Amino acid sequence: MKKIAIIALAWSVLGLSSVMAESMVVSKVSDDLSKVNLNSKVWQGVKEYYFIAYPQTAIEVIDADVMKLNAENKAKKIMVKALSDGKNIAFLLKWKDASNSVQKGYSSTAFGDGFAVQLPVNLDSLPYIGMGSAGRPVIVHLQKATGITYEPNGNGDVYHQVNSGNQNAYGKDLKAYTEDVAKLGNGNYQRSFISEGFRSLTQIRDGSEDAKMQMHYAKGVWTGIIVRKLKSANLDLTKGVFPVAFAFWDGDKKNRDGAKVLSQWLEVREKGSAAKLAYLDEMTQGDAKHGEQVMLENCASCHQYKEVKNAPSFMAPNLSNIGGYSNASYLVESIINPSAVVVPGYNTQAHPSYPWYTIDDKGVRTSMMPPFDGLDQKSLEDVVAFLKTLKAEVSQ
Amino acid sequence: MSQRQLAMVMDLNKCIGCQTCTVACKTQWTNRNGREYMYWNNVETYPGSGYPKKWMALGGGFDAAGDLQPGVVPSIQSDYGVPWDYNFEGLAKGEQLKPDVTPTWGPNWDEDEGAGNFPNDNYFFYIPRICNHCSNPGCLSACPRDAIFKRDQDGVVLVDLDRCQGYRYCIAGCPYKKIYFNPKISKSEKCILCFPRIEKGLPPACAQQCVGRIRFVGFLDDEEGQVYKLVTKYKVALPLRSDYGTVPNVYYVPPTEAPPKFDAHGKIIEGSTRVPMEELEKLFGKEVHEAAKTLKDEMKKRKETGESELMDLLIAYKHDDMFRLDSGYYADYAKSKSLEPAKIVDERYLHGKFTKGMKFFAPQGGHA
Repeated sequence: MKKIAIIALAWSVLGLSSVMAESMVVSKVSDDLSKVNLNSKVWQGVKEYYFIAYPQTAIEVIDADVMKLNAENKAKKIMVKALSDGKNIAFLLKWKDASNSVQKGYSSTAFGDGFAVQLPVNLDSLPYIGMGSAGRPVIVHLQKATGITYEPNGNGDVYHQVNSGNQNAYGKDLKAYTEDVAKLGNGNYQRSFISEGFRSLTQIRDGSEDAKMQMHYAKGVWTGIIVRKLKSANLDLTKGVFPVAFAFWDGDKKNRDGAKVLSQWLEVREKGSAAKLAYLDEMTQGDAKHGEQVMLENCASCHQYKEVKNAPSFMAPNLSNIGGYSNASYLVESIINPSAVVVPGYNTQAHPSYPWYTIDDKGVRTSMMPPFDGLDQKSLEDVVAFLKTLKAEVSQ
Repeated sequence: MSQRQLAMVMDLNKCIGCQTCTVACKTQWTNRNGREYMYWNNVETYPGSGYPKKWMALGGGFDAAGDLQPGVVPSIQSDYGVPWDYNFEGLAKGEQLKPDVTPTWGPNWDEDEGAGNFPNDNYFFYIPRICNHCSNPGCLSACPRDAIFKRDQDGVVLVDLDRCQGYRYCIAGCPYKKIYFNPKISKSEKCILCFPRIEKGLPPACAQQCVGRIRFVGFLDDEEGQVYKLVTKYKVALPLRSDYGTVPNVYYVPPTEAPPKFDAHGKIIEGSTRVPMEELEKLFGKEVHEAAKTLKDEMKKRKETGESELMDLLIAYKHDDMFRLDSGYYADYAKSKSLEPAKIVDERYLHGKFTKGMKFFAPQGGHA
């Protein structure tokens, strides 16, 4: 694990040459964090950590406007603070965004800014960064900036779905009706999901994984908080250390779903805890230059990355930002045993000529990528070192 | 791929553009709850911009290699058109009648304009469009949440609103732009082929109400059905823009029976037809030539001999024959899969059950 670099600079004059933190220590407080909000005093003086969120480019979304607006996307520098009261964990995040985009009004083309926090259900293996993978579920908490939205079919309440113009009421009665309808709306677009890969994302509606999330925009910066229980039906984050990942959407660029910037898995450590998660260790050695050569010889016939586009489109995930949002252990695992993490669903319908995996009668998915378990240790380390260099520049 | 596939055939030679289908659908499904701007069924003039505006140029669908193509999500304001209302109440106060928004675009903005020079060779025809309930749906392939599914029993393509997260890639992926974003619930919605009616043996509202009797509904594998005969036996019903690769299940009898053109002196050019075959080929593919020939041959045969099964089909004598739906099939399917079969009366709308205090449906005096 790299030494944590705590940057004491003010937000407005962030230097980008400084080393980013892949680990953060949680500050313990005695306040009841379930009552904390964006402006609570408890955040004052809490240690600031910084990480980088990189544009998701493994898969390309099929909205032509999104492709155009996000082609030149840079990485974003994010500030995070972490607090715990022993029962709850709370994060405060700050990120720059040129505009305050809210999905509202009678529009099909408005998209809201937003952020999400991802936590693994099991701590024994690292789930795929993009919403988990088969057998390695994650809990995702999402907050989006939207206007009022309604439940589909109004939870069976047919009466309040009739437009006021079609309602057989006038004057006071119509006003009362309109007010009743308005009460059914919800201006807080917040969701908790469980997911085992892109397509499996499923909303948890029974309240078992509820979180408190808020976001506020001022002077070009969004501030967001999330507070949730350390222990719940699906999660146990009380072992002294756990991984967390964050994602951010820019509504102005029509960001949603895979059109986003995301972090790699970051370590969250309780102060003084000796617990270790080996899969969060970064490899420190490796000759990226040699790795690049090995990549060209072994990987470039299927994967596209940066300017290297020898492979046909859609044949395999694009690796242009893989170094930004992937942990070294995941890269090693996926090179040696590509079937360890298979993301269900993607590519089967949209690009049938290049299925990324096969599926047998028992539902076991096998990646189309052959295992490169014959690669010598040095080459493996060199390739990982090179992969870690594949990432977008950080936005100034 | 579903076990069976329902399909619809529309005879464009008989469509008069009266929009009764549009109204049937609108009052049934889309006059409320964020769907106001949507026309799950619309009738557009061809040549024309269509609905949404220039939908054929908005991408989606598949290329020859089977790869899903990027598309765009049209804007309600500029491409669909915002529904507007009038200040009727103000009229009593002496106000002038005016719309509550400034209309800049709407469905049928260019209705009946068509192309060519009046009166010599101008032409247009109508294309009613619903969701094609494709066998290889672009919307389904584009959805990153597996929120769109194709029913096993009849191939109807539906959105699971519980899974839908409102990303709108389905709209980009559908080359027909027949799936819509509902801004009120932030989810996508589309034509459901009136499946609650279908399951009871009733045709979709658009087909039932069609005054020109241009719509046939039935299963593609039902060899006794008129849909099968038009599509497979006579091959006169063709899918719209099959080059998009989605394998659509709405078929059209092309409008080959247009009046002749006039020459410079206003005289009829014998043997000419106003609707250019090149335009029909763009819409229905090369097969349109063969279909046109079959239609002409059968018309001739009917004239000469009084017999033609195809002409009898297209005359559309009886709704019973045009709509080959089998509520028994759905009941058996539901039983075999332990699903709850469709009820005779949809209980969701049972008077008073979930509509307490609903004045609109309340008897005289109302209820609490």
